[in-house]
Order: sequence, then C-alpha cells, then structure tokens
Amino acid sequence: MERVCKNWAEEAFDENLVREDFWDEFVANGTAASAEIHRVKDYAAAKELLLSLHAELQPAKIVAAGAEDSAVLTGIYEALAAAGSQVYTDKFAIAEQAPTADLGISTAEFGVGETGSVCIDAYSYEARIVGMLPPVHVVLMPAKAIVKNVTTAFEVISRVFRRGYAGFITGPSRTADIERVLTLGCHGPSRFIVIAVEDTAESGDA
Amino acid sequence: MADGKERNLKKEIDEKLHDGIMRDALSRFVDQYPAARLHAYENVDSIETLRDDLSRMKRETVEHIEEVADTFEREAKARGVEFYRAKDGDDLKQFLLRICEENDVHRIVKSKSMATEEIHLNAALQEKGLHVRETDLGEWMLSVAGQRPSHMVLPAIHLNRHQCAKFFSDELQREIPSDISYMIHTARKVLREEFLSADMGITGANFGIAENGAIGLVTNEGNARLVTTLPRIHVVILGYEKLVPKITDASKILRLLPRNGTCQRMTSYMTMVDGPTPVIRKKDGKYVEEMRKVYYILLDNGRLKAAHNPKLKSVYQCVRCASCLNVCPIWTLVGGHVYGHVYSGGIGAILTGLLDGGMENFAKFSDLCIGCRKCTTICPGKIPIPDLIQELRETYVAEHGLALPEKTAFQAILANRRIFHTLLRIGSVAQKPVQSGGFIRHLPLFFAGMTKGRSLPAIADTPLRDRTSALCAENPAQPVQKAAFFSGCNLDFVFPDTGVSVIRVLQDLDIEVCYPQEQSCCGKPVLGIGDRETAKKIARQNIAAFEASGADVIICACPTCAETLMETYPELLAEDEGWQQRARSFAAKVREFTSFVAEAYRRTGRKLPAAAGKVTYHDSCHLRRGLDIFEEPRELLQATGRQLVEMKDADKCCGMAGAFGVKYSEISLPILQEKITNIKETGADTVAVACPACMMQLRGGMDQQAPEIRVRHIADILAEQLPGKK
Repeated sequence: MERVCKNWAEEAFDENLVREDFWDEFVANGTAASAEIHRVKDYAAAKELLLSLHAELQPAKIVAAGAEDSAVLTGIYEALAAAGSQVYTDKFAIAEQAPTADLGISTAEFGVGETGSVCIDAYSYEARIVGMLPPVHVVLMPAKAIVKNVTTAFEVISRVFRRGYAGFITGPSRTADIERVLTLGCHGPSRFIVIAVEDTAESGDA
Repeated sequence: MADGKERNLKKEIDEKLHDGIMRDALSRFVDQYPAARLHAYENVDSIETLRDDLSRMKRETVEHIEEVADTFEREAKARGVEFYRAKDGDDLKQFLLRICEENDVHRIVKSKSMATEEIHLNAALQEKGLHVRETDLGEWMLSVAGQRPSHMVLPAIHLNRHQCAKFFSDELQREIPSDISYMIHTARKVLREEFLSADMGITGANFGIAENGAIGLVTNEGNARLVTTLPRIHVVILGYEKLVPKITDASKILRLLPRNGTCQRMTSYMTMVDGPTPVIRKKDGKYVEEMRKVYYILLDNGRLKAAHNPKLKSVYQCVRCASCLNVCPIWTLVGGHVYGHVYSGGIGAILTGLLDGGMENFAKFSDLCIGCRKCTTICPGKIPIPDLIQELRETYVAEHGLALPEKTAFQAILANRRIFHTLLRIGSVAQKPVQSGGFIRHLPLFFAGMTKGRSLPAIADTPLRDRTSALCAENPAQPVQKAAFFSGCNLDFVFPDTGVSVIRVLQDLDIEVCYPQEQSCCGKPVLGIGDRETAKKIARQNIAAFEASGADVIICACPTCAETLMETYPELLAEDEGWQQRARSFAAKVREFTSFVAEAYRRTGRKLPAAAGKVTYHDSCHLRRGLDIFEEPRELLQATGRQLVEMKDADKCCGMAGAFGVKYSEISLPILQEKITNIKETGADTVAVACPACMMQLRGGMDQQAPEIRVRHIADILAEQLPGKK
C-alpha cells in the first residue's frame, strides 16, 4: 500500500515531540469533537473491542485497509470475517464495495492533544475511501504516539511529507449549514471511532 | 444585482433590515460567537502570540511572494503536477475549459473555493455544457436556488429551515419536509451520486506550501476529501495569498483558522494533497489503478499588484475565516448580500476593490465600514481592515475625484476655517424654527429617517471659541504647566459646555489653559471620504495655530480628533518637506483628556468630593481600539465615588461613527437601540462617555427613549464636582 512514510515511528517521531503525556487532552478534545476514543492494552484487546463493536453494528460489509502490510491487521480482519461479515481488504475490492459498505477500518499514525485529531497517512486510494464512504469509520493507532499541539504535529509531518496525501481527522463528518444546527454524518461517516493500542508490537497474539 | 447592473444600495439595505428571519439568525449568532470563540482558545497559552506568529509569517512571505511562488511551482511540477499561472478570470477559464476538453470531462464536483466564486467560474463552465456541482451543503443548496452565499464560512446563515426545505423541494422535484437532519441526509444521497460519477474535482486551498508543493484544505463535511479522492482529475485553484514557505507554516494558520472561523479547535477534516496520488476506477468493465491527474492554477487577478502596495499587501494576511464579519456591527444587521458580489464585510470591501469588480464596486459600499476597529481585535492575521478601506478610498478619490456635493462641502468649506465657522454660526440661527430644548425634534420630512428614534443636537448659540477668553482669564496664578485645548468641531459648536468643563478640570489641576483661535476641524471627515490633499491643508493650519501657543501639552477631549492629531498628521505630512518634523513635534504633545487627567490625579493625589449614584461607561471605538485607552476613564469615574456598573458590550460601537450615523441612519439606529437596551439594563442613572460623537448619538437616543438617564462626558462629570464651580 502506497504511503507517505513506511514507518512513521522510525522516520518521523522524536521522543521530545511524540509522547504519551498528552493523552488526557487528546481524549478530552477528541471527545468534544464527537470522536469515540478507546484505549486498549494490545492488538488482542483491540480485536476483542472490534468484535464487540461488530456485534453492536452487525455490518454486512466491511472495507478494511492496510492488511497487505500488517499481519496483525490481517488477523483482526479475519476475525471480523469469521464473525459473519463480508470483509474486503484487496484494494480493487475496496474500491468496488466501499460505496455500499457499513464499516470502514484503517490506521492513524499519531494523535494531537490540543485538538483531539488523529494524523492519517492516506496516500493510497483505499486508505481514503474506507474512511469516507461508509457510515462508520474505525482507526487503530498507537496510544503512546500523541503530540502536544498542531505546531508539534507539523514538525513531525514536515520530517516525512514529501509527496502524497496526509492530514487530520477530528471526529466524524459534520455540518451546521442549516440554522447552525449540528448534524453528524454529512458527506462522510457519522461515527468516528479511535482504538488506541498501548503495546503495538506486532508479535502479540492478535 | 451584480453583472454591472446599477445597484440601489439604500433599497437593498432596507430590504435586509426588514428580513426578520435573517435578522434573528444573525443576532443569535453574533451573541454566541465571542464566547464560543474564546472557549476554543481556552487551551492555548496566548492568542496574541498565535496571531503574531501568523501575521509575521504572512508578512514575511508577501515580501518575496514571487520567489515563494516559483518554489511552489518547481516543487509541484517535480511531483508531476501540471502548473498554470492565470493572470485573471478569463485566462483561468480558458485554460480550464481546455483541460476539460483534453480529458473528456463532463461532470465536475467542487468544494468551496472563494477564488472560483470571485471569477464566476461555475457559470462559465455551465455555459459550455459542463455539469458542475458545489458539494459544500450550504453552497450546493444556494447554488441550486440561484442564491449567493452571505458569509464565507456560513453561506446560508441568512436562511431558516423552511426556506431551505423549499430549495430542496424545488431542486429535487418532490416535497422535502423542513426537518434539518432529513434534509442533510437527502443532500448526502444526492451529492454522493455526484461524487461517484464526477470526472473532475475542483478545490480551492486554505494554504499552498512552497517547500513541498502541497496544498491544504479544511472542511467539516468532508466534501473536500471526496472531491480530492474520487474523481480521476483534481484541479486546485488558489490565489497567491494562500502560499506559505514551509510545511510548519501551515500550523500557524491551522491553530487560528478553525477557532476563529467556526469556534472549533480543529475542523473534522484537514487534508493535504501533494502531487498525484493513486485513483482506482472502472475502465472497460474492470477496476484499474492509475495516477490521478493534478493541475494547480495559481490565480493573480490583482493579487500581485496588491503585494507590492505598502499598505494593501496586508490582505495577504487574510485566511478567509470571516471572523471580521462576526463582530462587525454593520454586517450583523444587514448580512452579507449588500456588499460585493463575493466577498462581504470590511475585508470583503477590500477584496472586492482589489480582486472582484474593482474600485467602482468598492466605492459603492466601502462606506458600510463604520471604522469601529472591532475586527482588528480578533483578525487572526492582524489586518488593519479599516485602515485598508481608508487607503482604498484615498486611492479612489485621487483617481476619480470627489462627487460634487462632497467636493463643495469639503474642499471649499472645510478647508477654509472662516467660511466653515461662519456657516456653522448661520446654522445656529437658521435651525431655530425646528428646535426645542437642546435638540432638533421636528426636522423637515426628508430628514425623517435621521430623527426617528433619535434627536439630533442643535448648534449652540455661542460657540466655545467665543467663550474662551473669559474662561482663560480664570487661569491659575502660578501654573505648573501650560495646556493648549484642541476642542474639535463638536465641543466648539455643539457641546461648548463640555468644552468649558474640560478647561475647568484642567485649571483645577493648576494648569494654564489657552485656546488658539486659528484652530479648525481636525480633518477626519475629509480623510473619511478619502480626500488626503484637503486634509493636509487642514493639518498644516492646525499645527501652525498650536505652535504659536507655546504650550507644553495639547489636550483633546474627542478621541477621534486626538487620534487624527497624534497618528494621522505625522503620517500625512511624512513626505512634506519642512512639515515633517513640525507634525511630529506637534503630535508628540497631544494628549487625550481622560488619560491625561487620570494620570495627573494619580500623580498629584487630587481627590474630588464624593458623589452618589450609579454610572455606566460606554467605550468609544476610537478611544478603546484606536488609542487603547479604557482603564483611565473608568478610574476617573470611580474617583468620583460613584458606583461603576459595566454594561453588556460596553465597547461595541454606538452607531454614530462620524457621518455614517447620518448617511446610513437606518443602520445606525438599530445599533443605537441595542446600546440603549444595554444601558437601561445596568440600572445606572448616568451613562458616561469620553467622546462627543458618542455623546451626540446616545443623547439623541436617550432624549427620546430614556430621558431619565443622563448622558455625560467625563469632563462634565468631573467639573460638576469641582468645589466652587457650577
């Protein structure tokens, strides 16, 4: 899968900028922007959380990006398929199915304390549409990768952003164009769910 | 209204003032906006530091804008972007139509772009048979209804849900209930089809980064993400002012734009696109992946010329957050439609003059800026919007001259002190039949709009200048200082008693006061309409008159005069051989009355005998934001022993603003009405002011609506308490 940076943790992160300290602010601001933020110990716990979400949503179709580069994601997606959904992970299949899918899953690189945003690397077409076309979008991200504010976020981004497509997502799609009444799910998803994983070592039993 | 047709601005304003739906929506919004904005900033250390950072970065960028544009072009091209510089709208449209043809484009989706609205792009594309859809919900709704946005960020703020439902029903040819959530989900479905079937996506850009050739977009709906993702071609149309040198510079915009624009710490989506990215689409029955074609069109349309104008280049500091509208007392009454075709509010007047419609259009509605400077206190880029409007007025007058009535009034009368003062004296006699008490109550019919809900003051029988020789005879025997009093026209001819109070308060401080008889109007009304040359003549007369007085300090009890004398004179005469230094020495001696007296009371320990009562204070725009004086007037009021109660929005303009209050009385009066309500709610017996123009406006309103509340200049309040004086 095409990415702005193959490994943000190695190439972009700096321990002075990307830390765990700003977690509480990240949660407070993200929640204020209607993001649903969960923190789990490891990928195994993330899988359990997704399965319980699966039971709640009962999605017929899931489009999920990033499987080709990650064994843990592949494991999680297989578990969701086993739970009874059609799960599409091939990019062409994602392109075909995303407009009618019920749930999209992708990854985020780090969070921003000041705003509750997550930074996403969306160079690939499939990484973008899984987050825009289905009514619910879930991202998995490292819980220990949070920057203080937008200024530090851009210091991180500036280390690796040479070409492609990157940005922030801060809660679900929204509009207030009619009478300034807030409505979620305007063009994009009406629910945006963040699953932050503490131990991101891929060796875990996911 | 646009398209060169002659506009009747008065009629348009009148319609807007009677649009109850819009008025309600705007007044609710402006009531909530300031606190919501501040809430968004609660987790930053200093708003001012962020504004300074943004402003500085933008100011530095415009200094070498061509170089930044070259880098941007080079970096974008290196990544495979087709780059085009368009000198104006026609140039841009020709290029765009060509690429539509080359790429077999039939269907286009757009996310909001002010630059494309500026050049009326949609109409040009539709004329060629292309199917074009705006995708921002509000923009889509307005465009299908043939309406124009009234606000850059909240395009449909002037409408309510029932009006929106009618647009939906008309467009979709079926009955759509006025349920907001239902309407939005209907629009989602309709527009989803548009996204999926479009060949080309057109976006603007909130910023373009030279260092890596990327562009950035912020939206809440996510439409820009879809426009930049689904179609096989992406066209970015951006103006030079959107360029920033470095990736990290984008953060300087992003920390302010959402907070000021929509009171959010960040919008739902912030998207950066840097060169072509993959797109997957069905081709001959099979899904294929290819690289998207990306075109950048950098639009000039007057921008590069502005970049080289020492004052106007500050428009590059605009990030299009529209917060200047949200605090503008005029926009909040009349909405965005009465301004230019595309850009509204004060900044809109400027952008219209520079970019859209040109100076003729600017001249038509530029005087809708009341000059209260409220916008300058929140603008993320710290643009001195009223000063730019002033600059453009001056440019316009220098090029086109003044209209005849103004020419007569200002060049022939105001520039000649004797004629002006003689006319004022005649006026004081001529108005006799219509005057009762101190106020004109029954003006002839054609002046009815001016006096409805407000009385206008009469010209005094004896101007201050005829009373000063007697007053100055009471100067202290052993003065500690010599002050020359610059009264300004209002204290001279309308409120001479306040002028007397000023002199008495100064004398009480053992200051010798003199009143140079050769002084005239400060020149602000002339400057206000853009006639710099006449203003220079007046400035020179006044400087000469005060030099002859030999005073240590020049006192002004009118903040507008004080600001003009202190700040405008040196700037007006900066290139005037022989006057440059004289103007600077003169300006250095000028002091505003309340701040001067407060300082003297502090220094000398002067204590006035205590008075009882409740007083509230109205901040004059020029004193509060022009001279940054707001503590001293309050300090003086408290020194009188009265209880000081703050009114709501004490620093919001009273609606007078020099000639504005008379020329646009229909707008001035609702502003005054709000002020009166806020004053009444304090329960104060007295409203104190430090500005004669505010005093004129407030007295006029109080006289008709709350005669029990006194409107007093601080000089009068202090003078009342001086021992042994009346």
